Amino acid sequence: MVSKSASDSSSKAKVSDVIASVKQKILKLEKQIQADRIQYVKEIFQTNRQKLDTHLSFVPADGSNYDISSAEKSNLGNMLFSKIENPLHIYRGIAQGLGDREVFSCQDATYPTSATLPLVEKIPSYTTWIFLDRNQRMAEDQSVVGRRRIYYDQNGSEALVCSDSEEEMTEPDEEKHEFSKEEDHIIWTIAEEHELSDEVLNVLTHYISGTSSEIMQERYNVLKRSHEEKQRPNPSSEEKRLDTSMYLEKSLGANLDSLDNLFCRRCLVFDCRLHGCSQGLVNSTEKQPYASESEDDGKPCSDQCYLQLRIAKDLPDTSLANSSAKIESKEEECSDPISSNDGESGKRKCLTQTSEFQESLTGSSNDSQVYNKKQKVLSGPTEVATDAKTSLAEDDRSSTKLADMDIIEIDKDDFGSSTKHVGSTSSSHDSNKAPVFVGSQAKGVVSSNEWKPLEKDLYLKGIEIFGRNSCLIARNLLPGLKTCSEVSAYMNHDAAAMSHGSTALSNSFFDGDGNVDAKKLEQGLQARSRLFRRRGRTRKLKYSWKSAGHPSFWRRIADGKNQSCKQYIPCGCDSICGKQCPCHQNGTCCEKYCGCSKSCKNRFRGCHCAKSQCRSRQCPCFAAGRECDPDVCRNCWVSCGDGSLGEPPRRGDGHCGNMRLLLRQQQRILLAKSDVAGWGAFLKNPVNKNDYLGEYTGELISHREADKRGKIYDRANSSFLFDLNEQYVLDAYRKGDKLKFANHSSNPNCYAKVMLVAGDHRVGIFANERIEASEELFYDYRYGPDQAPEWARRPEGWKGDDASIPQGRAKKHQSH
Amino acid sequence: MKGKKGAAIPPETVKMKTLECEVLRGSLSPSNTRKFKLSTRHREGNQPLYGISYNFLDSHLFDLFATVGGNRVNVYQCLEEGRIALLQSYVDDDVNESFYTVTWSCNLQGKPLLVAGGVNGVIRVIDVGNEKIHKSIVGHGYSINEIRTQMLEPSLVLSASKDESVRLWNVQTGVCILIFAGAGGHRNEVLSADFHPSDKYRISSCGMDNTVKIWSMEDYWTNVEKSFAWTDLPSKFPTKFVQYPLFMAKVHTNYVDCNRWLGDFILSKSVQNEMVLWEPIIKDQPPGEGSADVLQKYPVPECDMWFIKFSCDFHYKAAAIGNKEGKIFVWDLQSSPPVLITRLCHGTKSTIRQTAMSYDGKTILSCSDDGYICRWDEDTTS
Repeated sequence: MVSKSASDSSSKAKVSDVIASVKQKILKLEKQIQADRIQYVKEIFQTNRQKLDTHLSFVPADGSNYDISSAEKSNLGNMLFSKIENPLHIYRGIAQGLGDREVFSCQDATYPTSATLPLVEKIPSYTTWIFLDRNQRMAEDQSVVGRRRIYYDQNGSEALVCSDSEEEMTEPDEEKHEFSKEEDHIIWTIAEEHELSDEVLNVLTHYISGTSSEIMQERYNVLKRSHEEKQRPNPSSEEKRLDTSMYLEKSLGANLDSLDNLFCRRCLVFDCRLHGCSQGLVNSTEKQPYASESEDDGKPCSDQCYLQLRIAKDLPDTSLANSSAKIESKEEECSDPISSNDGESGKRKCLTQTSEFQESLTGSSNDSQVYNKKQKVLSGPTEVATDAKTSLAEDDRSSTKLADMDIIEIDKDDFGSSTKHVGSTSSSHDSNKAPVFVGSQAKGVVSSNEWKPLEKDLYLKGIEIFGRNSCLIARNLLPGLKTCSEVSAYMNHDAAAMSHGSTALSNSFFDGDGNVDAKKLEQGLQARSRLFRRRGRTRKLKYSWKSAGHPSFWRRIADGKNQSCKQYIPCGCDSICGKQCPCHQNGTCCEKYCGCSKSCKNRFRGCHCAKSQCRSRQCPCFAAGRECDPDVCRNCWVSCGDGSLGEPPRRGDGHCGNMRLLLRQQQRILLAKSDVAGWGAFLKNPVNKNDYLGEYTGELISHREADKRGKIYDRANSSFLFDLNEQYVLDAYRKGDKLKFANHSSNPNCYAKVMLVAGDHRVGIFANERIEASEELFYDYRYGPDQAPEWARRPEGWKGDDASIPQGRAKKHQSH
Repeated sequence: MKGKKGAAIPPETVKMKTLECEVLRGSLSPSNTRKFKLSTRHREGNQPLYGISYNFLDSHLFDLFATVGGNRVNVYQCLEEGRIALLQSYVDDDVNESFYTVTWSCNLQGKPLLVAGGVNGVIRVIDVGNEKIHKSIVGHGYSINEIRTQMLEPSLVLSASKDESVRLWNVQTGVCILIFAGAGGHRNEVLSADFHPSDKYRISSCGMDNTVKIWSMEDYWTNVEKSFAWTDLPSKFPTKFVQYPLFMAKVHTNYVDCNRWLGDFILSKSVQNEMVLWEPIIKDQPPGEGSADVLQKYPVPECDMWFIKFSCDFHYKAAAIGNKEGKIFVWDLQSSPPVLITRLCHGTKSTIRQTAMSYDGKTILSCSDDGYICRWDEDTTS
């Protein structure tokens, strides 16, 4: 646009020319866009209008019809009709010449009354709320932080916009400019016609507010790309692939992405409202020991089982490799398998196949010959991983049969059948033996030829879970995808591939029978780790019957003060937590949801109470403000019957009395009009002192959010906030349960206590004394000196006005 | 305590308009295609009148209307020559009741019912045929700001309340069928609600959280049907919560105190001196924040107070809205861009809270803070 050779003045003139033309162009475009928009609005308006008119035309157009039949009269009701004939009063219109003053000016008292609406006792005020049986974390969109809120004074006529200084400081949201279609159109058109020089961009930014020239340039590039994409034909055929194959192409991690994100491993539910989505994934370092069947006593899992091969192999096998491993290594050395069938060589290339010998095909197992060849074409070098072997004796009949089979197979191949294979002898075997081809059919199992990423990942997961047991892996993780023999073959191949990698698995592979050894090793590890744990437990027993976790922490608990009210977040430490453990640094104990092992010193180890029922400070759980956990505590357990159903034998005497929140062993609470103010919570059945009544549930909100909401609630004179721990405040304003309506009293019959239940802080309401049936429940909200509203300091029995339910922000440190 | 409605709201800076939001804004110079003449001015009392409503349900009674204010509900008839006749007057025994809203409904036999609600949060269902209370329905936790009738099924009414919920009732049986509140519900008082004119499942609501929400009761329709045959105690009815709306949009930046469906579009007003017609663009996955395509704006000067509601005739040909200076603006709803039909003057400068247009749109009524009812009739002579 600007030539370098041109003089300054002429270039400037050119630039201004360009700018002028760009401006003109933009104006034109804008006009066009506006005209289009107006046209569009008119069109959709009319369409909508027509739809509405069509709908309304079904209703009679005009019914100003005074011709009421007698039947209709009775339908209307006598009173109304008589009043229509004989109204209480007729007010004349202005047209009749009456002045403003004379029209009517009546007071309520003189107004005729036809009927009164009898008094109805109105119910105490409340905001509509949703019942929650467990706490929920606040959803992002529920936040009031940073939102402008307008109040109106009920007595005055002034509306107030409330935003405190703290709020104003918060994020002046860096608003990202979103380009509209029209703006894109302008940018695109201009850019097509003029080069996007700085000047042009400047002009553009002038017209499209809220952008800079850089953003504009970027946007143009985006448009350009999308434009180019549009030009290209859509590879729609690829998208039409089956869902399953799409899954197969993704790795296990990618496939499990939504599971990992949505599934809460603590609550065992999807979309957990308490712990939220995208929790950090904590993998326990302790593996569940898997009682794996020994492969030798195992029966073949299917006719595709690698054990079938073994049976077939073991019988005649003498001189050849005793282990598949040896064959494996030999075969690796061997050159490309000889293909005796000319027609096959080409096709074979695109298939990874496992062929398997079927006894029935050869008629005699002794004479059987199996060539199991696995060819991985895509991975470059042709490798043969096989359990194949030749038989020493070969009979003609069999080979004839096999030849027949072969022909059939070829036919099938031509038809695109995917699951068959023609094997070839391996040159590493007895050279004097004539090559024999064995075709096989994968009966009933459609095996794909190559290992998809997902299958590979599932296989690795299977190794992790079951050890090198191809039967279990194939059955549990790869059903319908891979057969046992395929898994077995892959396992061997895999091990061979890893042989340079010095892992234990590959080492064991070379020790001999890879499968067996690997499994033994695995089992050994498991056994050791079990042993390790057991030792850990005994040591723990010796340690203290109170069995606290971290010693320093224990003291704090023992002091009874300074109760930890820190939010627990599971750590992902390996085995034993050190100083870097987030739990340790946070000052919380490690819990069963942590990645560390049970012997971690930071773990809270539960109690061993036998007879105390864990209801006193004798119980370390109780003393620490925790509920017992049947997973952790030794004698606290959950039964679901009287033992007649064959439940496990009792480990202790009596029931643990410290799992009541966990087990929801709550009392029936009734909601009714309070004797004091507003709504009240009442008890249906009598309870004894320290009995658990129920949980105070609500939304978990941050302290910052709580401060903001508190201000709103204070205006409405109705607050349901409850300090839970250092991170969260419970808000039962819109979500909660009936206990939120229990009123404050300085001489209460209940108390609230924050308990740690399975890693979560929860608020339990307990009886402070014996409470008789249908008594109203009160507890001390424990207002801080600065938090108590005026009315909360008044003596009991004070009655508030209708709008004030005396709920307040309770304090967390519940002595009990 | 009686709530004083309608403080003026300080405006918030409005964002720069982008090109896409080209809106057709009506001009305030009236076309005067239709002329209206003030025919009656009647003062009911000292109490402000918050609600006035024409009967659209029974063609024999299209000339009946009801007003509410203080603890009174009055039924009038429009007579010829601009006169109005007081037919019935109901007084709540609770002198502290202040009715905010009234609507006409009917029972299954088509007998007319009046449904009124106010500060006490009690829904009063009055059998006007027999001049007695039919039902008094308790349930709302705070005052009721608006009650609307489902024209396709007139026993069903919606109530919008300060308790942050919208509730669907069957006034015939007195049961609360659905409560629209919860996780996706309004975060402050609900000021207005309306049924879709043709889609019986769809409703809209708006309120002090500045949002307009569209809800669907399609999944709960069996409950709605069940409500008609309910003979047990109304409190035993399995009331369901509808927690998530289909659609939520912030069309306004302040209290939204009135919304009406206009076909599939929504006409709503905030305290920003205008009514806005917009098309809700509902996204596939509820509950999601949808977007709104604002199409037309109907300016209404001096209308920056909340609790000023507009009304339409039965065929939605026009909308009438008052302002805080006692003027009424009648907008044509059939034209694009918008056309102001006429501007009516009330005489005093008192705020007009609610208007009512007759079935055929030829009569316009208004009620105001100073207790006046005014009647305008279309002047067909000139």
